[in-house]
Amino acid sequence: MTKAKLDQLRSGELSPVENVRRALERISKLNPKINAFIEVNNDVVAQAEALERKLKRGKRAGKLAGLAIGIKSNINVNGLRATCASRTLEDYVAAYDAEVVKRVLAEDGIIIGVNNMDEFACGSSGETSAFGVTDNPAAPGRIPGGSSSGGGAAIAAGMCDLCLGTDTGGSIRNPASHCGVVGVKPTYGLVPRQGLIDLGMSLDQIGPIASDVYGAALLLEVIAGKNQNECVMLDVPKVSYADKLDGADIKGMKIGVSPQFSEITDSAVMDVIDKSIETLGDLGAEIVDVELPHIEEAMPAYYLIVSVEFFSATRKFDGRKYGKRIEDVCGDEVLRRILRGRYISQKEYRGKYYQRALQVRTIIRRELMAALEKVDVIVGPTVPKLPHKLGTKLTPMEMYAYDYLTIPANLAGICGGVVKAGKVNGIPVGLQVQGMVLGEEQVLRVMRAFEAVS
Amino acid sequence: MAEERQKEIERSAEEIVESFVKAAEGLPSEREMYYSQEAYNVVRPDGKPSSSEERTEFRKRFIKIMPAKDEDGNLRVEVAKWVK
Repeated sequence: MTKAKLDQLRSGELSPVENVRRALERISKLNPKINAFIEVNNDVVAQAEALERKLKRGKRAGKLAGLAIGIKSNINVNGLRATCASRTLEDYVAAYDAEVVKRVLAEDGIIIGVNNMDEFACGSSGETSAFGVTDNPAAPGRIPGGSSSGGGAAIAAGMCDLCLGTDTGGSIRNPASHCGVVGVKPTYGLVPRQGLIDLGMSLDQIGPIASDVYGAALLLEVIAGKNQNECVMLDVPKVSYADKLDGADIKGMKIGVSPQFSEITDSAVMDVIDKSIETLGDLGAEIVDVELPHIEEAMPAYYLIVSVEFFSATRKFDGRKYGKRIEDVCGDEVLRRILRGRYISQKEYRGKYYQRALQVRTIIRRELMAALEKVDVIVGPTVPKLPHKLGTKLTPMEMYAYDYLTIPANLAGICGGVVKAGKVNGIPVGLQVQGMVLGEEQVLRVMRAFEAVS
Repeated sequence: MAEERQKEIERSAEEIVESFVKAAEGLPSEREMYYSQEAYNVVRPDGKPSSSEERTEFRKRFIKIMPAKDEDGNLRVEVAKWVK
């Protein structure tokens, strides 16, 4: 779909202005119910017109020329509000572009607006935004997943062509699964984080959400690659992911499946995943069992680490230079993580909790790396259960359980992607494909091969 | 009400800590891992400073979102509550 749209834009069959106008019409029609966008870029038609003039002058068209792109509200876009869907930053207008936004603009992508999200990315349901809950266009009345709820919902509703989300413990993959779209969490250190408002600095990665694997691959190749000014980045050459997807073949690839997945996943979800694994086998891949015995311990360890990092990251929100003091206006889950982070960070508890959680992180990483030495990718469910109905009261622990299967990739720093596997009672279920560090090519190849036959 | 809310949130914040202690009980002691990779580009090269024009523009944009400013355009902040 993305490729067809790009072909239309390149041939002149569809103009950038027309594409942007269609997106705006769709947003204006659907957003009052879905609430996927917090803010629409008022300058967007003028930007599309400028691009048209540039193309008419015979200038080179960028890889994203004319596509309408939504950006999660925790990424700075100059002139638009970067609120993190919180009252803390509700009036905060970004004064600069994040590095990923600069790269999107350099390839002629058009920023259509700012997507809704869970407040400060603290949530897995899309219900904690200060600007209201987001509905799931693929399963109306149910949560779209989070925290990149607006991005997942915007793509599922066809409001824009591509979105940038962020993934700290599953925040791209979870909404991609619930909304039946494609999402990729890149290897930690592959995509610049400069201009991202942190949740957990050692875990956050910016990544694409799209309607198809080609779109996700294209946006990933635009944003990936070293930024000289960032110290926690991998120094790797640029890779072209999208071009390698034509006729993606997985014959002979070794695909790992862990028996531990079915122990923590609802049987209806698992049935869909088992069928998907059969399909991959039919495509010529060798299915191999891999052991991940400590996968369940990843979740509590993650919530300790992320709370400490989030507590540290939020100390700047004291309301003195901009915004409001975070503790005065934030929602329950944000306050819960701040209080937990403060408690765990106390000197007397550091060894008992935080350092111990970092040790568990080592165990999880080693386990995943060992599994990925035996196979090319690991496939399984993305979320262990179906999305709940909007407004259902869940305890924090029940909410955290959504992240059981996505957290390990963040703790280990590996990459992972999600593609629609099927449905249970009309509700989408996503297949998660996890690959080694910088294994995006293999992950995308498996996702594309599966997409082509499903 | 606000105090009750804070207490309830504090209590629920500790649940996951307790669950972690239980989960980690039988696990061996390991080296702590702060970042998932060790091959990061940790030494930044000296870059070129942004132009004075860019810096002026940035300052103008930032002044617009400051909570308060004095007559010279400097940030004016309330003295922190904890020193009152």
